[in-house]
Amino acid sequence: MEPGSDRPSPSGAPAPERSLPSWLAQPEAYKPASDRDGFVQKSLLSLTGVLSRLRIDDGQTTPFSPSAPVKLACGLALILMTSLSSNFAFTLVMTAAVLLRMAILPSKALRRAVGVSFTAAGVSALVMLPAFLVGQPQSALLVGTKVLVCVGVAMVVALSTPVHQLTGALRTYHVSNLVIMTFELALKNIVTLGSVATEVLRALDLRSVGKNRSKGASMGGVGGVTFLKANKAARTTADAMRCRGFEGEYQAVPRDAYKRVDIAWILAVAAVCVLFVYLQGVA
Amino acid sequence: MHIPENYLSPSTCGVMGVVMVPVWLHAARKVRETVPREKVPLLGVAAAFSFLAMMFNVPIPGGTTGHAVCGTLVAILFGPWAAVLSISIALVIQAVLFGDGGILALGANCFNMAFVLPMVGYGIYVLVMRAFASRSSAGGSQAHRNAAQAPTLELVAAGVGSYVGINAAALCAAIEFGIQPLLFSNAAGQALYCPYPLWVSIPAMLAGHLTVAGAAEAIFTVGILAYVRKVAPSFGAGSALVTTGSFANGEALPQSQVRRARAGLAALLVALVVLTPLGLLATGGAWGEWATEDIAESVGYTPAGMATGWEWSSLLPDYSLGALPDWAGYVLSAVIGVALLVIVFRAIAAGMKSKVDFGTR
Repeated sequence: MEPGSDRPSPSGAPAPERSLPSWLAQPEAYKPASDRDGFVQKSLLSLTGVLSRLRIDDGQTTPFSPSAPVKLACGLALILMTSLSSNFAFTLVMTAAVLLRMAILPSKALRRAVGVSFTAAGVSALVMLPAFLVGQPQSALLVGTKVLVCVGVAMVVALSTPVHQLTGALRTYHVSNLVIMTFELALKNIVTLGSVATEVLRALDLRSVGKNRSKGASMGGVGGVTFLKANKAARTTADAMRCRGFEGEYQAVPRDAYKRVDIAWILAVAAVCVLFVYLQGVA
Repeated sequence: MHIPENYLSPSTCGVMGVVMVPVWLHAARKVRETVPREKVPLLGVAAAFSFLAMMFNVPIPGGTTGHAVCGTLVAILFGPWAAVLSISIALVIQAVLFGDGGILALGANCFNMAFVLPMVGYGIYVLVMRAFASRSSAGGSQAHRNAAQAPTLELVAAGVGSYVGINAAALCAAIEFGIQPLLFSNAAGQALYCPYPLWVSIPAMLAGHLTVAGAAEAIFTVGILAYVRKVAPSFGAGSALVTTGSFANGEALPQSQVRRARAGLAALLVALVVLTPLGLLATGGAWGEWATEDIAESVGYTPAGMATGWEWSSLLPDYSLGALPDWAGYVLSAVIGVALLVIVFRAIAAGMKSKVDFGTR
């Protein structure tokens, strides 16, 4: 008869009653000490947040978007004119244009653009709070609105242009190859090393259960592993560049990448320029 | 109907604000429960209709002006509590950016235009629709004919509801104006805030709203509702046609329908924005929205509360830009207002948790 079976033995005699071992009959009252892993979770969350932003919002162009070099130049021109404008009417015209563009951004991009630009405008207005107290509220409104427009334009350009198109546009304006490469490698390394750090932190979180002292000490290990991986990644990148014959020379945007809609955008910015000059004269 | 700053005593403003806080909280809870996340941006578009309607001033006999609010329209499309929330946000934008209505008087303005108006208007709309429905069920053989007439009947109900709604709101505003000189006056008997008592304010406000402004509200509501029902039949609480292009059960809609609905709504918004300068044709201000100097000229003294009262410095006071012509200021204000309303409601939708219904087993 199998141990633990309730069937009678072949001889017909009832099976001897088996009792549970005493340790098994004990009521289980396992209450693990609360885990102190707040810092691991927080680091994981912030890393994942940065990574998701970098990966998901890689710029989305629309059929009416100009090509990247034109977009970059238009954005810079609008920021410059808004900053230099001494007439509040011009700033308000720009506010209307930026808000209108933001209103039709995709949902995630809208959330980021609104969050960043309105926070920046709010902080500026807060810094200018004394202006309200001395009876100059218009100054605070002017600064806040200008910051909203400038940050809004920058966010709209960044969120509606893929990164590789932006680097191409920078090269069109003869920005140094070294600057572009540093910019591009930094972005890519943030993603790669961020993923490594996330994996190591996740491993630490899973392996170190309960309250123990070695958890805090392991944070140094996370940094060390990430640093070693960074070293390895740098060597691998250098090898890859050599294998592909890439000497850090970026190509400017080819001529056929420009679109017909660019002309409309250039004309629109030219009209804004005329309005700027007219309103500066009025002021 | 926008009560300006210092026309109501701070205590009246405080009371109205306290009254509105639970209303706003309840409205926010109801919107979260009843309006699906993907439809919240459409609420912004409906609020934009209301914002633009308030910019069209119509001349009223007697030299003043009035305007539509379209609160009943939003209530019919999305429910009365959604209308409370969306028109309140439109009023906040008007007060903060354009100085239309006082900041301190925001509670009172929201009570009149964002609470009383849509609630009364929607209530009357529902009653009229029920009356039509009971008549058609009693008629027997006429049922088919009545079913075919349903869209027309809805428009009639919407017109009646919006007319009664705006007059109820005007009556509330008139009472708020009218109790000021009765409650707050100095030893010389001079009013501290609005100087016109109830027997002046009620006839003056209702004369305009029972005639021209009421008619304008009914025309705007019926016109926009008829257009929306034709171009984007599922714009309201019925389906997610415009935003997601699919029904709640996941069944996809033809792309052409979705595009047509979106283009139709965008065209209506653009047309309203471009036509807002028509509101400038109405000369004179609205009753109860005069400048302090005009009040002093008309009653012979400046009420003390108005002379020393607090004033908010808005971005575009009275929708004007100073250096640019008035029509440009009006169009620009309309663009800023509409864009902000759409941004606010899209941001709210992005911040809402998506509810997934896995069904019951």
